[in-house]
Amino acid sequence: MEKYYRTEEVETIALNKLSMEVKEGEFVAIMGPSGCGKSTLLNILGMLDDPDAGSYLFNGTEVANVGERKRADLRKHNIGFVFQSFNLIDELTVYENVELPLIYTGVASSDRVKRVEEVLEKMQIMHRRNHYPQQLSGGQQQRVAIARAVVNKPKLILADEPTGNLDSSNGNEVMELLTDLNEQGTTIIMVTHSEHDARYSHRIIRLLDGQTVMENIMI
Amino acid sequence: MFKNYLKIAWRNLVKNKAFSFINIAGLAIGMASAALILLWVQNEVSYDQFHSKKDRLYKVYNRSVFDGKLHCWASTPKPLASTMRTEYPQVEDAVFISDNNFLFTAGDNKLKADGYFTDSQFLTMFDFPLAEGNAKQALSGIYNIVLTQKMAKRLFGNADAMGKTVRVDSTANFTVTGVLKDLPNNTAFKFDYLVPRAYMHKLGWEDPYWGDNSVTSFVLLKPGVSLASMNAQLKNFTRKHSNGHEDVDVFLYPLDKWRLYNKFENGKPVGGMITYVRMFSIIAAFILLIACINFMNLSTARSEKRAKEVGIRKVAGAGKQLLVGQFLGESVLIALIAGVFAFILVLLSLPAFNQLTSKELAIPYASGGFWLITMFFIVLTGVIAGSYPAFYLSSFKPIKVLKGTFKASNALVTPRKVLVVTQFTFAIVLIICTIVVKHQINYAQNRDIGYKRDNLVFTLMEGEVQKHADAIKNELLSSGAAISVTKTSSPITQSWSDSWGYSWKGKDPDKKLDFNSFTVDDGFTRTLGLKMVEGRDIDVKTYPTDSLALIVNQSAAKVLGFKDPIGQTVKYNNMNWHIVGVVNDFIMESPYQSVAPMMVHGPKGWFNFIHFKLNPANSTAENLKKAEEIFKKYNPDYPVDIKFADEDYGKKFKSEQLIGKLASLFAGLTIFISCLGLFGLATYMAQNRIKEIGIRKVLGASVTSIATLLSTDFLKLVIVSFLIATPIAWYSMSEWLEGYQYRVHLQIWVFLLAAVFTSVIALLTISFQAIKAAVSNPVKSLRSE
Repeated sequence: MEKYYRTEEVETIALNKLSMEVKEGEFVAIMGPSGCGKSTLLNILGMLDDPDAGSYLFNGTEVANVGERKRADLRKHNIGFVFQSFNLIDELTVYENVELPLIYTGVASSDRVKRVEEVLEKMQIMHRRNHYPQQLSGGQQQRVAIARAVVNKPKLILADEPTGNLDSSNGNEVMELLTDLNEQGTTIIMVTHSEHDARYSHRIIRLLDGQTVMENIMI
Repeated sequence: MFKNYLKIAWRNLVKNKAFSFINIAGLAIGMASAALILLWVQNEVSYDQFHSKKDRLYKVYNRSVFDGKLHCWASTPKPLASTMRTEYPQVEDAVFISDNNFLFTAGDNKLKADGYFTDSQFLTMFDFPLAEGNAKQALSGIYNIVLTQKMAKRLFGNADAMGKTVRVDSTANFTVTGVLKDLPNNTAFKFDYLVPRAYMHKLGWEDPYWGDNSVTSFVLLKPGVSLASMNAQLKNFTRKHSNGHEDVDVFLYPLDKWRLYNKFENGKPVGGMITYVRMFSIIAAFILLIACINFMNLSTARSEKRAKEVGIRKVAGAGKQLLVGQFLGESVLIALIAGVFAFILVLLSLPAFNQLTSKELAIPYASGGFWLITMFFIVLTGVIAGSYPAFYLSSFKPIKVLKGTFKASNALVTPRKVLVVTQFTFAIVLIICTIVVKHQINYAQNRDIGYKRDNLVFTLMEGEVQKHADAIKNELLSSGAAISVTKTSSPITQSWSDSWGYSWKGKDPDKKLDFNSFTVDDGFTRTLGLKMVEGRDIDVKTYPTDSLALIVNQSAAKVLGFKDPIGQTVKYNNMNWHIVGVVNDFIMESPYQSVAPMMVHGPKGWFNFIHFKLNPANSTAENLKKAEEIFKKYNPDYPVDIKFADEDYGKKFKSEQLIGKLASLFAGLTIFISCLGLFGLATYMAQNRIKEIGIRKVLGASVTSIATLLSTDFLKLVIVSFLIATPIAWYSMSEWLEGYQYRVHLQIWVFLLAAVFTSVIALLTISFQAIKAAVSNPVKSLRSE
């Protein structure tokens, strides 16, 4: 894949003929210095952005440059996102934030209650279900964000520095949660600056100037 | 999903109270203003639309050339309607109405009321339903009378009026043969009672002359009759019946145009009330649009706050359509809340609005259609207000907003700037229009009307006044209540008669020239305070032949073309009238038009009014008390109704004053709504630039320079608005002023005044937020960044 960012005067290469494959059930960490293209790659993988050239096969289907509606549809059924800054909607309670993806996938109301409660229990955040994001600690907010990411049982979770805003204790808890999810069959691709967090993955892909420079298989 | 949308919309409303208040208040005021205007518009366009035979009902018009111009008018000769009925099989029915104002006595109850003489078919042609009585027979007897319910109640209280006797003008007893349901507020017919045309005949007030255009005639054509073919056949109707003496065309004018298209120019309808219906409909639409623009601007100004939510929803699987639906739903919710407040505002302001517009507008609670339209109106407002924000917000790229790299555009021309300019352009146009309308009214009010209105009063000669007119005149003078008295054919504030039947030596026989005519007796110029330009006043005592004397105004003298008019003879009604004087032009008709040529006849004609100049040596109350006693003495059955000439003249400005008041009201509301939006916008802009302000302050910027910096951006928009508004206002007002012969010229100061006024208002609105931002502690803003 190739991706460029252009201004009137400058063209920056974000992804330079990058090629990679992630198998179902894998836990892959992507590392590299700032500006190496990690987040660009994650956005394209999450179908939030299009590559300028190349191909992106998701589950064997070409998804590069498909329309917004198709992408939204693929995204809501297959991908969960976890962000460094949690990105919860401040006006919704914990329960309502987690319920959101189910609403968009058209899950029936009674089923939604069951599934949200199930995932909140799993994330040990059930007791905070009626609280608003501002009333939670950073760790709790990230648990809610992970609950929201997994509530639709996605095939793939994309995590963008999920522990970046957390202390080490909360960070470890989040990594344990992601590992559990992976062990239950969810594919995880995580962008991180932390060697410690990367060690939870099966494979580390290191990027520099939009290219893969090294791959480490974790034993 | 809907529940989720509703929830987040409600929480956003509660969380952002100031934003919600500005949006709801702006929309509520905009909706209430638009609703009031639309109620007025609906009333205007529904005039007389309730008649079931409306598609076959026509008013009879005349058309003829005077002074080289084709004129149209709706008063007709009395025999016209009945003759049409008998001569044309295509005419199902035809009636005339003629105004009258009688004194009614029922027991101890005495009152004066306005009504019509009319043909018995009036009640079957038009849909004025009878609560009691038979429409076909109610006006069949000469002494039958039909009363409205209101009139019946005034005369007989709660007792049943049917079959009761009412005395009319102390001369005849009438039997109530019908009680009409009160007239709706959307009819051009205004009457408290109907009396048969036969009674008019009995009084000797009906004449067979085809040159006396004094009644209004209506025709009901049979189904399927073509208006064009009927008009072709009727063209020479009056000409034929007057043996060619009356050179006028006759044509029928359809009911749906009576109210809205009653102004003719060169023989063709060019508008009328429709001008104001269109104008106020546009104003209603713009006021609503301005309120919607507030919503659009504030919603998009808050975009950075809502961008994160959009990003998350998109990441969670929401497509653009779903988000558009969500944001539209939010705006419809706000519109619904605003709609409730607007409804309350309309309820509270309707009595004052009715007083202002002299209408009886009411909310039709019982009409399902009304509620349906109201809901449609609210939802439409919500959709218009929410459309741009919905598409704008839903178009955000989730990557940018979630990474925090999203920044709203600050381009030279942004949709938000365009919307602010649209708001202020409309506001400035309205301000300029208001100033011009008021200036025009003042200009006409200050015009020299040619006679002296102070202490000048008049009263109708009714009952026994005609018989005792000379005695009353003498007593008014001898009692000291008046210093001068004259009898006239019409009040000085109205011209009741005109004619093209004048001929004189040297007149071009091919030219038809129309003159207003006015009959007076002794003391005419002295009482009215007119100036004799040449000759003398009418004085029958000194010059007995003055009963056929003629005074002409300066305009008439010019038309007559005599080198020396005094002593010249003018033939009229087969009589020779000799000119004894030329008087200055004085205004009896519109103060906005030039004075028409006028023939003032000596006392050979019929008098209807007494004018007298109150004695300035006494108080007005004292003079009026004495005058009332004199009138009561000679005419005890009638209430004394003395009118002041200046008050009556003031009524001529009523419609322009109404337009002026409405224009000021809506200009004020437009400015208020626009400023409400500007205030909100300034608040968000100041918040967005808090870091910049902090840095500038750290670098040494003063409070004034920062306040100026923040205000300048908005002032630039106001200046752009002014530049766009000026040609629009100039064109509209030039067109409006074209309708007046006596008019102001558009002057630059009007436009500059509007510009200064708008800038000051805008500056005051913005400055609060600008100064607040400028005096804030930069440490806080920079730390928060």
